[in-house]
Amino acid sequence: MRKKRWVPWVLVGPALLIIVLTTIYPLVAALYFSFHKYRLRKPPQFAISIGEGGISIDWSLLTLDNYALAFSDSRFINSLQVTFWFTVISVALSVIMGLFIAVVVQKGGRLHTLTKVLLIFPFAVSPALKGYSWRFMLNENYGIYDLLIDQLIVGPVNAVLSLVNLLPIIEIPLISESIVWLGDKFWALFMLAMSETWGWAPLIALMFVGALGSIDEQIFEAARIDGANRLQIFFRVTLPLLRPVILIVTMLKTIFSLKMFDQVVTMTGGGPVRATQTINYYIHQIGFVRSLDIGYASAMSYILVIVLTICAALYVSLVLNRD
Amino acid sequence: MTAITASRQAQKSRFELNAAKTLETAALLLIIAFILLPIMWLAITAIKPQEKAYSTTLIFTPTLENFDIIFSDDSVIINEGTDRERGEVGRNMFPSVINSVVVSGATILIAIPLATLAAYAFSRYQFLGNGILLIWILTTQFIPAIVVAIPFFTLFRTVVILDRPLLGTQLGLIIVNMSIVLPYAIWMIKGFVDALPDEIEEAAFVDGCNDFQILFYISLPLIRPGVLVASVFAFIMSWNEFLFALIIGREMRTMQVALMTTSGARGIMWEQMAAAGLVVMIPIFFLAMFIRKNVVDGLTMGAVK
Repeated sequence: MRKKRWVPWVLVGPALLIIVLTTIYPLVAALYFSFHKYRLRKPPQFAISIGEGGISIDWSLLTLDNYALAFSDSRFINSLQVTFWFTVISVALSVIMGLFIAVVVQKGGRLHTLTKVLLIFPFAVSPALKGYSWRFMLNENYGIYDLLIDQLIVGPVNAVLSLVNLLPIIEIPLISESIVWLGDKFWALFMLAMSETWGWAPLIALMFVGALGSIDEQIFEAARIDGANRLQIFFRVTLPLLRPVILIVTMLKTIFSLKMFDQVVTMTGGGPVRATQTINYYIHQIGFVRSLDIGYASAMSYILVIVLTICAALYVSLVLNRD
Repeated sequence: MTAITASRQAQKSRFELNAAKTLETAALLLIIAFILLPIMWLAITAIKPQEKAYSTTLIFTPTLENFDIIFSDDSVIINEGTDRERGEVGRNMFPSVINSVVVSGATILIAIPLATLAAYAFSRYQFLGNGILLIWILTTQFIPAIVVAIPFFTLFRTVVILDRPLLGTQLGLIIVNMSIVLPYAIWMIKGFVDALPDEIEEAAFVDGCNDFQILFYISLPLIRPGVLVASVFAFIMSWNEFLFALIIGREMRTMQVALMTTSGARGIMWEQMAAAGLVVMIPIFFLAMFIRKNVVDGLTMGAVK
């Protein structure tokens, strides 16, 4: 219909210009930095210089040292492992709990509706604040989570264990009631993932509720008439029907988890002993806190870019192939 | 015989039904507790007097003194009438509230109009490479923020505007925020434009309106609700943003970074952190309720429907 060719470009132009300047410029610049020795403490020497005689390139200033360093730096390798495990735990917990919540709240009922409204609440809590509030609640002396875990989980489990121990078969060690959650390597990473799960599981549940709502109720009815019980319906009907949505949500959450930064700063500070130093956190430490090595930080962030590009490509193809 | 079996079965299934119902209610209550506990505990701690904040007690006289403290210029507050210290104090957070409001506000004032025009063009026009451009804009969302922050950090150290380097200014942070807010807003608003039937626009075209008349007098008023929702999302995004605020905003502390100033010589002063946390959370809380129905689409760019 409307034929003026230049009109869309006028409309798209300003936004496109800003996006290019704020995303393409840094991507190119960081790649360029990553091939240089570049520390904040002294002015960098770049390979490409524009002088009176035009553009000159000094190849000797380009180096692969930063990338070589990354793969021999045990702390970087550690951050890769931490990020991997954090991603696995937080994605699994978020998606499984999201599914559980969605299936429970799906039906209509007053309490169901109330819960559905509450699902949006964690969205309002910023990641930085989430980290602080979990750190506070997990405190071993006055944390409410610490108290609840000891009273509701550790206490009963230990009671059962002591009963078993009365039998002269085996001696099972009791669970300690004085675990310092954020002082223990495993628990710190686990709790970091839990804080992320608290924020995401309700939102993921909302996504599943939407998807469940669009499934024809007759399918469930038919399964019920055929004599399927609730578990069978869940595993044989609900789960297969939700599969495409589960895949997309998992991919999306994976991408977010790989970029984990905020709560690491406010909840664990990367500790104990680097047990929660994610890639982003380690890059920040190198680039802006400790050695101020911009070249090395750029190289590491490019490795992250490559990983995320692969995930993004998977995600986009998942989304596009749905319809 | 069959009648007996049938009634037995009915009884059994009624029992099963009741058990299932109880189990479901228990699960619902558990979910509610899981969601609400951290928020409630933050709110409770914020109104606890300092000496009760470091315990799990629920018996205390509510007080607003923690809010007094975080918005005070003193470094130590003395209880009135005594010489007992009421607490060591972080920095006054009032400037940080202003910083957050200015940065988030300016970010949406710049991003939303530009995004609206672009989204409209992507939705209504065929032009060279529009499909690929759109996918490319979507993928910019997956660029890790740290890779954007590094070059802008080094650039803003040297770019001087009004005798000040851009690093650590509101303007600097606003510019960097564009990298996340603009692509996001384009996709979101495009969804709203797509949902709008274009018959009215066609009619206006037939009546002799030009492209811009159609856009400004017909389409924009119709997509205003969608643009408002996108603005709220963009505001929440930049309000809660932490990595850029830390690296680019620096000493110009937004509220997210100001949370860190509750850390004193004796560790984090939790009652102050909780009070500051409420200040950070409450505006977003109301905004989130406003966009409740759009959150799923907003988070997944409409990928899950």
